[in-house]
Amino acid sequence: MATTYKQTSSPIASRIGHHKEAIAYSLARLWQSPLSTWITLAAIAIALSLPASLHLLLKNLKTLTDDKREVPTISLFIKPGISEQRARDRGELLEELPEIDKVVLVPKDEALADFRKITGFAETLETLDENPLPHVLVVTPHINLIGNPGLDMKKLANKLEGYPEVDLVQMDIEWVQRLRGILHLAERAIMVISILLALTVLLVVGNTIRLNIENRKEEIDVSQLIGATPAYIRRPFLYSGVWYGLFGGILSLVLVHFALLFLVSPVNELAQLYGSTYTISGLGIKITLYILLASSLLGLVGAWLAVGKHLRNTKTY
Amino acid sequence: MIEFKAVSKQYPTGQLALYNVNLFIHQGEMTFLTGHSGAGKSTLLKLIAMLESPSTGDVIVNKQNINTIRKSRIPAFRRNIGMIFQDHHLLVDRTVFENIALPLKIEGLRPHDIKRRVRAALDKVGLLHKEKEYPLMLSAGEKQRVGIARAVVNKPAIILADEPTGNLDPELALDIMYTFKQFNDYGSTVLIASHDHALIKDMKKRTIVLRNISNKVKR
Repeated sequence: MATTYKQTSSPIASRIGHHKEAIAYSLARLWQSPLSTWITLAAIAIALSLPASLHLLLKNLKTLTDDKREVPTISLFIKPGISEQRARDRGELLEELPEIDKVVLVPKDEALADFRKITGFAETLETLDENPLPHVLVVTPHINLIGNPGLDMKKLANKLEGYPEVDLVQMDIEWVQRLRGILHLAERAIMVISILLALTVLLVVGNTIRLNIENRKEEIDVSQLIGATPAYIRRPFLYSGVWYGLFGGILSLVLVHFALLFLVSPVNELAQLYGSTYTISGLGIKITLYILLASSLLGLVGAWLAVGKHLRNTKTY
Repeated sequence: MIEFKAVSKQYPTGQLALYNVNLFIHQGEMTFLTGHSGAGKSTLLKLIAMLESPSTGDVIVNKQNINTIRKSRIPAFRRNIGMIFQDHHLLVDRTVFENIALPLKIEGLRPHDIKRRVRAALDKVGLLHKEKEYPLMLSAGEKQRVGIARAVVNKPAIILADEPTGNLDPELALDIMYTFKQFNDYGSTVLIASHDHALIKDMKKRTIVLRNISNKVKR
């Protein structure tokens, strides 16, 4: 019987062989029509670079507000005539409140010295015979309570104002809360944009693979006639989809980094004007890998949809 | 090896291709299938290769009733059948070697084994020196022989050929027939659809005639 001496490699080895073949074949196919491949990759890259750069923008705005100097605080100005010791005692009592992380006393003499250092008012201050500054208690609320609707900042402020030593309560928190609210909104908007652009990538890859299938219809038909499984037919197209996604993703990262290089020096100049050492931060390793993974996955899904549709339409399966 | 029991096939267009066909082909037998064009020769072959399914009746191939074969098992089933088409169905953008290697690649053989088996198949059809050429550079007879090599390269138990000598001059046609006979001698069951009566007569093998009107099968 002719079939008795049929020799097939082990299932795992043949599976690995199939994958190797599909990888080599799909990569070779990609560069057989370089122009259309580049156009597809560019379309994917542009679609991916937009959410990536928006993410970058948001991340940079966030680091601005997370800056150590900008930890939101409440300043309690102590009434004139209250002694430094009394202010310190009040601070220690405040520190025991559950909403409050820590309290730092800035005595008026120290404040004056600081003031002299950081402004050009030294000479003007000399003309005063008495320190006009009050003692200040800098109160830091628990950071995790900021933006927490359960914590009523107004109520806390009123409570602090009620102490007899306190002259005035100044909240540095409100603008931070507002900015965070805006950033939160921006985050949502970027998420929506990202989803829409991910769908674009899906469609671009799906359509490209669909055209590839059209071009190789005969090959698919013949392969099916001689006993190729749907998985065998599907495999090289799925790899093509992954390559489109992956290479498109890499290209988008290149685009984003070029845009970043373009921005670094003007941002540094601007930061210098504000007396800040802030520098723009790039895409981290985690987000880079995330973008590449997501784009590859989108390519895979796009290809899967296109091939699946074709295989469903052929009657031999 | 191949058995048809009261098989009819009607296409969705309403065309009745086969009506009440009964036949039995033994293992290791070489048989011709003839009849006028439109008598259903191609349909009969397609039923055996599961390229079509019967409307009524049972087709039994290799002790398996094809009505009971699950869809997911069709590719594996088909790999045990070598099919040769009149229009050879070769891939024009691949070399002769790559065309013949396709069934072995699908089966997942190692490159080393593929090379050996393709060379052996090419040797049997006398085209070893053409392995690097593309199908468009070959003559009609050579293309047909590449098609045969591809059908037999994975040593199928059954070889089906649909008008394999349709476009060939008599001398080449006879040559192709002897190639089939060679594979039959190696143990494969061979069924060839052809309307070349002179050629069939020369081969001195059992012939099944499909009649147009009632599609009766004569033994």
